[in-house]
Amino acid sequence: MKTLLWLICTALLAVSALADDSASDLAAKLGALQQNGASVVRLKMEVQGTAKSTLQLQIKQRRTRASTEVVYLVLWPKERAGEAVLLRKTGDQSASGATFTPPNTVRTLDSSQMKESLLGSDLTYDDVVENFFLWKQQAIIGTEIVNRVSCDILESKPGSGQHSSYASVRTWVDRRRDVPLRVEKYSASGQLVRRIETTRVVTNDNKQAVPANLTVNGPRQGSVTELNGSSIKHGVSFSDREFTPAGFMEVTPARSASN
Amino acid sequence: MTFFTIVVRGLLRRPVRTGLTLVGISIGIAAVVALVGISRGFEASWATGMKVRGTDIVVSNMGNALAPKPFSSEVRDRIGNLPEVASACSIYADLTSVEDASMMVVSAREWGGFSWQNLKLISGRMPHDAMEPAVVLGQTAAEMLKKKIGDPLQLETKELTVTGIVDGGAMVENGSVILSLALFQNITGNEGRINVIDIRATPGMSEDEVKQLCNKIDAIAPEAKAMVAGEHLGNSQAFRFISAMSWGTSLLAVIVGVLGVMNTMLMTVFERKQEICILLAIGWKPGRVIRMILWESALLGFLGGIVGVIIGTIGVKVLETLPAIHGMLEPDFNAELMGVAVVLSVVVGVLSGLYPAWRSSRLTPSLAMQG
Repeated sequence: MKTLLWLICTALLAVSALADDSASDLAAKLGALQQNGASVVRLKMEVQGTAKSTLQLQIKQRRTRASTEVVYLVLWPKERAGEAVLLRKTGDQSASGATFTPPNTVRTLDSSQMKESLLGSDLTYDDVVENFFLWKQQAIIGTEIVNRVSCDILESKPGSGQHSSYASVRTWVDRRRDVPLRVEKYSASGQLVRRIETTRVVTNDNKQAVPANLTVNGPRQGSVTELNGSSIKHGVSFSDREFTPAGFMEVTPARSASN
Repeated sequence: MTFFTIVVRGLLRRPVRTGLTLVGISIGIAAVVALVGISRGFEASWATGMKVRGTDIVVSNMGNALAPKPFSSEVRDRIGNLPEVASACSIYADLTSVEDASMMVVSAREWGGFSWQNLKLISGRMPHDAMEPAVVLGQTAAEMLKKKIGDPLQLETKELTVTGIVDGGAMVENGSVILSLALFQNITGNEGRINVIDIRATPGMSEDEVKQLCNKIDAIAPEAKAMVAGEHLGNSQAFRFISAMSWGTSLLAVIVGVLGVMNTMLMTVFERKQEICILLAIGWKPGRVIRMILWESALLGFLGGIVGVIIGTIGVKVLETLPAIHGMLEPDFNAELMGVAVVLSVVVGVLSGLYPAWRSSRLTPSLAMQG
């Protein structure tokens, strides 16, 4: 009897270890897809709340395994053109950044301000700079059908020394294409804070399936943000200056490294 | 009383049920007409766009995206040196969101190239030179973006001025934002990159010779594929997917129609059991009864087809007037499509009547006595 119990326990431990490995592998894969070098994205952001506002944005990003630098720049409408947000995160350290409002107002952002809204949307600064797939605790907690696609539910939790405004994040991953179709972010009390749904998936210039259109529901009542990507270009060359407040004042097109 | 009077009376016996079945099959056929008409219209519009530009061959790499993949502009020079090529014009065509419009065609054309020649100015002027920060808008694009001459237009990181509104002679042209290739490459950081080459073949070349020229171009420019103008869109996996979706959705609607007609005809056979048995008793052959049922279902299909074609056409015309998609649809409702829709409807009707007809043929005159 004892031997049988021992065998069952060993088997359960082995299965659990395998499941953890699979979760870690999946998270590592998704994390690497996100931290994929220098790229520039063009997207339209529509915030529908009490009033509707539309922004055309250019996003410049340099993402490596060790660090993330992102610049969100408003291209349109004219009255907001030139507004920019710079966000930086290195390793497990808290994110920081700066905002720029033309003609020359620069406001630095520290880690305590990362919960603030990004350009009036339902996303926070943390949402765009944080890669929760790189958190230490990853587990597959189930499967569910999302938009007729079978998805694994990956739960990510920050490990010790990792700072986040969220206690856990659940991602519904289409394993066939390795694309997140839904992301839910929870507070320490277990309350759903933010839900991000993928509404369109495209194949990018690296031949990877990526979410192109997203709908974000945050804690603001009656507010929803839609992000519609229109282009993405990888292998772009940026100067370091483009990721500084001084660089915000010079709006330049992103050039491919080969150009 | 003739055979056809009996057929028509069979349908008129339950006018509400016949009417509802007719509506069911009509909606299926309307879906076929609308979806396939829109999809074919899109293809035809691109072909018209090519024709008005005087393009014989389009060189591009459509892949599975809606916009072609970029390649080096050096390919244009390689192709332009072929003796059979009268002229070549480099283009960078992109599908992108512009200001608050979701997706628009941005067509950047080689300055001085022949692809500018078909644009007829409605108002304003053309840009003065290749690097003037200016765009011209097709008339539909101007309406969608709510722009007039002199208005600013934000394209990527640059604010340009609308200098002209043009009639391009085709829906795709009229829905485009058109500017100089060099300016666009500078704005987007795509110097030395293009994704389409329009080619005019030497005048007098036959269709076969143009196809041979395509093969010749493919041999010297493996980065892209040369297609006879108008056929190139069919090469796009994305378009083929849209087309397949149109037919797939239509087919589903037709299957629902088939089930509706089959149900109606089965009910007819059950309700008219006595009548059919009497007809058999007075000398009708089972084959004639089968023909009667099949004629009824075919007539139902035919009428459903006619009504469906009308509903589909009117439906799309109404859609065209909606502000959100005004100017974006140019459906191709040609006689062939209408004919195919009606024939499809009749075939659906006949197929739906096969089982009820077979059931009716198994009735015997003696059953009439049982009431």
